[in-house]
Amino acid sequence: MATNKVIKSAFESMLFVWGDLLPACDAAEVFGISEKEAIDCFEELALEYKQEGRGLRIRRVGKSFQFITLGDNEDFIRKLCTPVKVKKLSQAALEVLAIIAYKQPVTKGEVDAIRGIKCDRVIEGLSKKGLIKELGRSDAVGRPVLYGTTEEFLKGFGFSSLKELPDIENIEGLMGEDRETLSEEEKSDDFRQISIEI
Amino acid sequence: MSYKVRLAMFEGPFDLLVYLIENLQMNIYDIQISEITGQYLEYIRNMQKHNINVSTEFMVLAAELIEIKSKMMLPKTTEENEALELEDPRSQLAYRLMAYKECKKRSEMLSIRQDIMAGIFEKPQEDISVYLDNPDEYLSLGIEDFARAFTAFLQRKQRLEETRRHYSSIERDKVTTEERMNFIRGRFRKAFRGGMKELNFNELVAKKDRYDAAISFVSVLQMMREGYLDANQQDTYGEILVHKGIRDFEEGLENIDGNK
Repeated sequence: MATNKVIKSAFESMLFVWGDLLPACDAAEVFGISEKEAIDCFEELALEYKQEGRGLRIRRVGKSFQFITLGDNEDFIRKLCTPVKVKKLSQAALEVLAIIAYKQPVTKGEVDAIRGIKCDRVIEGLSKKGLIKELGRSDAVGRPVLYGTTEEFLKGFGFSSLKELPDIENIEGLMGEDRETLSEEEKSDDFRQISIEI
Repeated sequence: MSYKVRLAMFEGPFDLLVYLIENLQMNIYDIQISEITGQYLEYIRNMQKHNINVSTEFMVLAAELIEIKSKMMLPKTTEENEALELEDPRSQLAYRLMAYKECKKRSEMLSIRQDIMAGIFEKPQEDISVYLDNPDEYLSLGIEDFARAFTAFLQRKQRLEETRRHYSSIERDKVTTEERMNFIRGRFRKAFRGGMKELNFNELVAKKDRYDAAISFVSVLQMMREGYLDANQQDTYGEILVHKGIRDFEEGLENIDGNK
């Protein structure tokens, strides 16, 4: 049985050779260990890179791993060569993507309802970019298509899994703020109503 | 002929409504319907005045606002002065606005993450064929193994193509307009010193390829806009003669240095 050190060292080399996301199960097969053991090794390795402050980092997407560059080094890479800027998503696209990411599986109708506007074109665009995919069909009337996000979405926005999507409370105390003031406002409700009648 | 311009102002009726409510610093659970409806309608009217195509969705929400407004004006008691237990007509709207605000916050979070990820680079699937064994040994395999190898090959190819599709290619820097404008400035300084008043555009192109000519052309246009240069062209497809504009070369440069 290979030691932990040997396995990690081998995984590091394998990530280098492979380039793209390397599924943990493929790596596990090489040593005849379980997928979970392989994932643990990758995670340990990723932590070591982080602790040592390396210019390369190992990122996890689902159950796969990959080398990426450290974001702080962006300027230096851009000085070395000029990577083509990836076109950013429009506000509409980001809104639709946010709804799908958080509420998946979700139908087009539900997305439309939240935004108050039709999203057919935006959904088409996101599908073409490979950020969302059809997950199947809902049992509701008309059996509408259900949408969800793809691995490409996780990669593009730097998430390891959907569990990493931050709660709205963490993004900002948006809900909390409004709820706190709610009870007070309710009391003055009748008063306001009168002023409208006048 | 008419131009259609899409202004990315409001992404939908809720976007506009949330903006108006926040602008008036109202509580989302206690919207002053009368005022909001007035402002909302005024905004739509303004849009129409400027010939902006107002989509039906905006109209639907306008109608809903008016409906809520009229419901709010109905008495809250019966004829016998008994209080009626009615749901606040605004609660449904407040709930939907909250859902929209939530979605908007999340989209902002995604936007920030998108910016961060733009600075992180990954490698596409490496071409590992150089490491692979000589395929000769496959010839001694049974037909099933052979078929399996072939499917594996197809899958690998598919995976390879998938990655090719969405990685961003990295290119060496080409000449920028700023660099070319400096070059043009240099050319003119030399020409002035030699007593020449104008230069043929062709002399401002360094290499004779299409990209280079285009970048010189754009640079000259930019310098004309800034008033450093002026150009003449007698006839269509004729030679372009470039000469000094109303501003002095050094003037702008000093300003730039001064700013620094």
